[in-house]
Amino acid sequence: MTATPNYDDEFDAIVVGAGLSGTAAALTMAKDGLDVVMLERGPSPGSKNVFGGVLYTPRIRELTDLSDAPKERYVAKKTYSMLSDAGDETSMSIAPAAWREEPHNDSWMVLRRDFDEWFADQAVEAGATLITETTVTDLIREDGTVVGVETDRPNGTLRAPVVVLGEGANSLVSEGAGLKRQDDRDNVAVSAKEVRKYDREKLEDRFHLDGEAGLAAHYFGDGAVGDAVGGAFLYTNKRTVSIGVVYSIEDAAHGERTPDEVLDQFKQHPAVAPLVRGGRMVEYSAHAIPEGGPDSMPDLVHDGAVIVGDAAGLVLNSGIHLEGTNMAVESGFHAGQAIADALDRGRSDAAALESYEQRLEESYVVQNLDHYGWFMDTAAEEKEFLFEELPHALGDATEEYFRMDDRPKDEHVSDAKSHILNASGGWFGMAKKAWKFRKMLS
Amino acid sequence: MDNGWNIVVCVKQVPDADDVSIDPDTGRLNRSDAEAVLNSPDYNAIEAALSLREAGGGTVTALTMGPPTAGEVLQVAVGMGADDGVLLTDRAFGGSDTWPTSLALARAAEELDADVVLGGEETTDSSTGQVPPGIAAHNGWAQLTYVEELEARPEEDRLVARRDVEGGYERVAAELPVVVAMGFGENTPRTADLHRKIYAETEFEPTEWDASDLGVEDEVGMAASPTQVGGMATADPVPREQSMVDSADELAEKIGEVR
Ligand SMILES: Cc1cc2nc3c(=O)[nH]c(=O)nc-3n(C[C@H](O)[C@H](O)[C@H](O)COP(=O)(O)OP(=O)(O)OC[C@H]3O[C@@H](n4cnc5c(N)ncnc54)[C@H](O)[C@@H]3O)c2cc1C
Repeated sequence: MTATPNYDDEFDAIVVGAGLSGTAAALTMAKDGLDVVMLERGPSPGSKNVFGGVLYTPRIRELTDLSDAPKERYVAKKTYSMLSDAGDETSMSIAPAAWREEPHNDSWMVLRRDFDEWFADQAVEAGATLITETTVTDLIREDGTVVGVETDRPNGTLRAPVVVLGEGANSLVSEGAGLKRQDDRDNVAVSAKEVRKYDREKLEDRFHLDGEAGLAAHYFGDGAVGDAVGGAFLYTNKRTVSIGVVYSIEDAAHGERTPDEVLDQFKQHPAVAPLVRGGRMVEYSAHAIPEGGPDSMPDLVHDGAVIVGDAAGLVLNSGIHLEGTNMAVESGFHAGQAIADALDRGRSDAAALESYEQRLEESYVVQNLDHYGWFMDTAAEEKEFLFEELPHALGDATEEYFRMDDRPKDEHVSDAKSHILNASGGWFGMAKKAWKFRKMLS
Repeated sequence: MDNGWNIVVCVKQVPDADDVSIDPDTGRLNRSDAEAVLNSPDYNAIEAALSLREAGGGTVTALTMGPPTAGEVLQVAVGMGADDGVLLTDRAFGGSDTWPTSLALARAAEELDADVVLGGEETTDSSTGQVPPGIAAHNGWAQLTYVEELEARPEEDRLVARRDVEGGYERVAAELPVVVAMGFGENTPRTADLHRKIYAETEFEPTEWDASDLGVEDEVGMAASPTQVGGMATADPVPREQSMVDSADELAEKIGEVR
């Protein structure tokens, strides 16, 4: 056979996983003139990706020209609905005029299968190498320093000064190599999602959309995910709708119902059923999502390696926000810059890579995680109130408030108030809860 | 042969069969969403070529005809262990059916001084199985089709094949040069070695030939293709009856009823 070159230490960095975080790191380094190889287990980036739907693009837009990217719809409207299992819906809808203008609040519904492949192509165009159908199975360590990776291919080890772990939530490599503890059980959420296909016109009529406008709908309460802590979502793409549920794995392990049963129940709620009627299911998937928060972040920097994106626990899953894409990209970007700086000085030890963690701490990523980190704890403590009593009380209260009968409006209002007060534990309880949840919307 | 055989393996880029659908209204294949991949039976041909080289030495050259992007399937072959790759690419080839295609491949095989030419059983996008026999016919070489297993006999300048025939198999020896169509699934294609794969996808450059390099510029393309498509029809699935039986006797009884 013609000779095969050996690529050990031919690349400045190996990126494990060509998801958003890995690709952002590769793109950043390639733009800085480094030789980077991305190892991706799927047949193409994103092909194994399960994802609800909204991609947040502030950093991606700076890293590359987004205008040709495969995007589905921008978020023109967000709704938040409380659903009770008795069939009530109480919702709030937000559609600022500014969202209709470029850059559309940097919020786009995308299909990751298309988007990730395109994004990885941008890194390749900037000079990175993408090797697909290659699963990293372990890290090679010498004297504690990570010096390369092992893959599932013959002659499958590859050495490089720095390894970037962007392997996503199911971070077997980081855990296996001892860079990270296996997530505590209650730090992980499960999700089930399906994608349904519709006629484009029918979809736009049903959701009152035009052009590239789209709807991101979020649902809470026992009508959404039963008595578990979590929520449900519905996102509109061009011709498809993504519908899913996300809830704490504790509940999944102890509860009676499987994720797909929870999803089915959600789809049958009277507020949801007409929205997902008809069409054809084109995809179904179930997945684990780290619930994140600052406490579940592993050490991000090691001798010869850094961890980025979901693998680093950089997900915000507060019930109101489900964000990971922006932090994945942001962390990849900062890691890429820190690596370029370190290699510039001929170093790849943890102390030299430390600036990645510092940059991240200064960015909105860690600040947001700190800000919302308390939420899951609070939500768990107040599970009954938030997810069961409140949805019913809101349903009953609004029903009361708008009731058409022969009683004066004043009486309806005071009855409505008392429904909520009762659920909240009277005025005092209400004040306590208001205080506790004050940060939720800020 | 002092330095072993010149082994040429013909490969083709096709739309990923998993992504191809038939438009129920027009009856046409919708290939627009499909990724371009290596025709899956060709993996068996590449594996057979590499095993032949292991048995008798020589070189393996992957050969494909297609648009410039078809070079990707040569990368797959080189990643698995082929020594080199040749891409036949020219606008003049556009619209060629199996006749001019096998002519161009036959000329290229001659050019490469091939002792053995291998191909897959058929392609997933046209399923004719005509190209390997076409190459043999154009060059007047021997052919072995539906091959299950090969045995190199370099000292005799012969290649022995076990062929799948109705009701069993046969063993046939052919004089070189010979064209082989490997049966689909008859061997286990190897996984590309990591460093070889990186080489194939980053540094390897195929040799490119156009129609005039092969002297076939007036004999290829749509005009030189005898095939005419008479029409397209989609067949509706026939409803089939199903039933479960509990015992062999009951099954025998059922079969008896049908007969
Ligand atoms: C159901 C669901 C809904 C979500 N909704 C939203 C949302 O609306 N908005 C939002 O911002 N975020 C959302 N998220 C979170 C978001 O998807 C993640 O935060 C984001 O994808 C993280 O990017 P990543 O690059 O870290 O990981 P991933 O996108 O998971 O990428 C990891 C990549 O690594 C590859 N890989 C893994 N292991 C290996 C290995 N050993 N060797 C080689 N390759 C490997 C994988 O194939 C994959 O391509 C959602 C998540 C889920 C599950």
